[in-house]
Amino acid sequence: MTNFAPDQQIGASSAPSEAGRAAEATSTHIQGRGLGFFYQDFHALKKIGMDIPRRKGTAILGPSGCGKSTLLRVFNRIYAVYPKLEARGSVLLDGENILEPRYSMNRLRSKVGMVFQKPVPFPMTIYENIAFGIRHHEKLSRAAMEARVEQALRSAALWDEVKDKLNKSALGLSGGQQQRLCIARAIALKPEVLLLDEPTSALDPIATGRIEQLIAELERDYTIVIVTHNMQQAARVSDFTAFMYMGELIEYDGTERIFTKPGKKQTEDYITGRFG
Amino acid sequence: MSLYAQRAIKNVIAQLLAMVATLFGLFWLVWILWTTLSKGLAALKWSIFTQMTPPPGADGGLLNAFVGSLIMNGLAIVIATPIGIAAGTFLAEYARRTALGQIIRFVNDILLSAPSIVIGLFVYELMVRQMGHFSGWAGGVALSFIVLPVVVRTTDEMLQLVPSAMREASLSLGIPQWKVVVRILWRAARPGIVTGVLLALARISGETAPLLFTALNNQYWTANLNTPMANVPVVIFQYAMSPYDYWHALAWAGAFIVTLFILFISLGARALLSRNKVIND
Repeated sequence: MTNFAPDQQIGASSAPSEAGRAAEATSTHIQGRGLGFFYQDFHALKKIGMDIPRRKGTAILGPSGCGKSTLLRVFNRIYAVYPKLEARGSVLLDGENILEPRYSMNRLRSKVGMVFQKPVPFPMTIYENIAFGIRHHEKLSRAAMEARVEQALRSAALWDEVKDKLNKSALGLSGGQQQRLCIARAIALKPEVLLLDEPTSALDPIATGRIEQLIAELERDYTIVIVTHNMQQAARVSDFTAFMYMGELIEYDGTERIFTKPGKKQTEDYITGRFG
Repeated sequence: MSLYAQRAIKNVIAQLLAMVATLFGLFWLVWILWTTLSKGLAALKWSIFTQMTPPPGADGGLLNAFVGSLIMNGLAIVIATPIGIAAGTFLAEYARRTALGQIIRFVNDILLSAPSIVIGLFVYELMVRQMGHFSGWAGGVALSFIVLPVVVRTTDEMLQLVPSAMREASLSLGIPQWKVVVRILWRAARPGIVTGVLLALARISGETAPLLFTALNNQYWTANLNTPMANVPVVIFQYAMSPYDYWHALAWAGAFIVTLFILFISLGARALLSRNKVIND
């Protein structure tokens, strides 16, 4: 049904007009080049070319099964947990191809953090939830570790709520708090990129509001890539928006432009609720 | 008759049949429990816990049998738990959807339902014949063959119940897989695994056949695993078959204590599981 050929298919980077101008102020952080993805025989991503700017929020929108989560899961190679999945093409992080087998998984994951759809606190104390990941990457003194944990919890706007129960189980927190704990856990490793895979889909509207506010704040320090099928959310938290359909990147531009005058008919149909 | 009335009648009949079936099943259970309770309680004396199993014509208790059972049950748990957890972890975390994993799972299920007398015979050939005599070691090993598949199965299932998001979240922090298993997944699955071990303990507490061929019995006190060892199920078996009334009484008392022991373990296992559910929700 796709009778048009998006410029991404030739593997060139799409340089959206607004993004292009903004990119002069910032710089490109992640570059997808001719990126394809296969679940055995199923071709889930088709020659994606995409430049994600540094310290901005980029939202990936699209109907279920369009490949938006798959794309996100390539950026930290978490898909490699499962057998028989294969990414082709390249993803450059600061110019280095992370899909190269010699790019260390340890290094990649300390640079690219991820938060998932459902909050998954580890079955340990709140403090340990944060410290556990740090300990694997760095040897810190007790005092330095405590400072680091506090800093992470403050950045995730959770410190005031949990400072008196750091030694209590994280499983006792509310869903929204658990999700902020997961964000704190990810940023405690001082990553450069934060991948968010529908981070509020399991939360109520109030908790969602807090997380969105937090995401907007984090965009000052981190490159944020958020997958969502909530269009209002994409509009609220992102500077750039990509629209995907059937494994292809249909359109990628400044968020405002995507929502006001999208360039492609499919994008417009999706944004206006005509399908999806 | 209206359609609604027909349905109402069918419903009543189905409900009645289900209830009768339940009562039929429960009837025998209650009967067994009642007999064990009344006869066991009547035979219960303090000397049961302080004296050794008596020869015909003398007074005595079941102390050596209790101690022997505890030692051999303990040995079985100590042998089978680490192996079972390691094997269950392999199945759930490293071979979940592989053909090898499916084959091991199938074989483990066969072992799970293997007649315990076969296990007794196997260990008889494996150990008793080689050593030339019955022993507590052989008894513990035979029981461990019963514990092993239970622990493998529960570990496998409990780890599979841990959401894959937990694995992804840990791995996305750059933590290597072995550490994810040991530090995160085992912890998340711990109540379930412990419950499995407890249920296995309850199961072997009443096993007679494997011990008959391996530990046999011992009329005297022994904590030496290298000798034949007294144990509650075999003593119950032997005394219940005897012509002496006071041996019968001791057998009832033994049955009562074992039943109570299993009841408490099962309750403990349930409490552990339900407490964990509250935390997880």
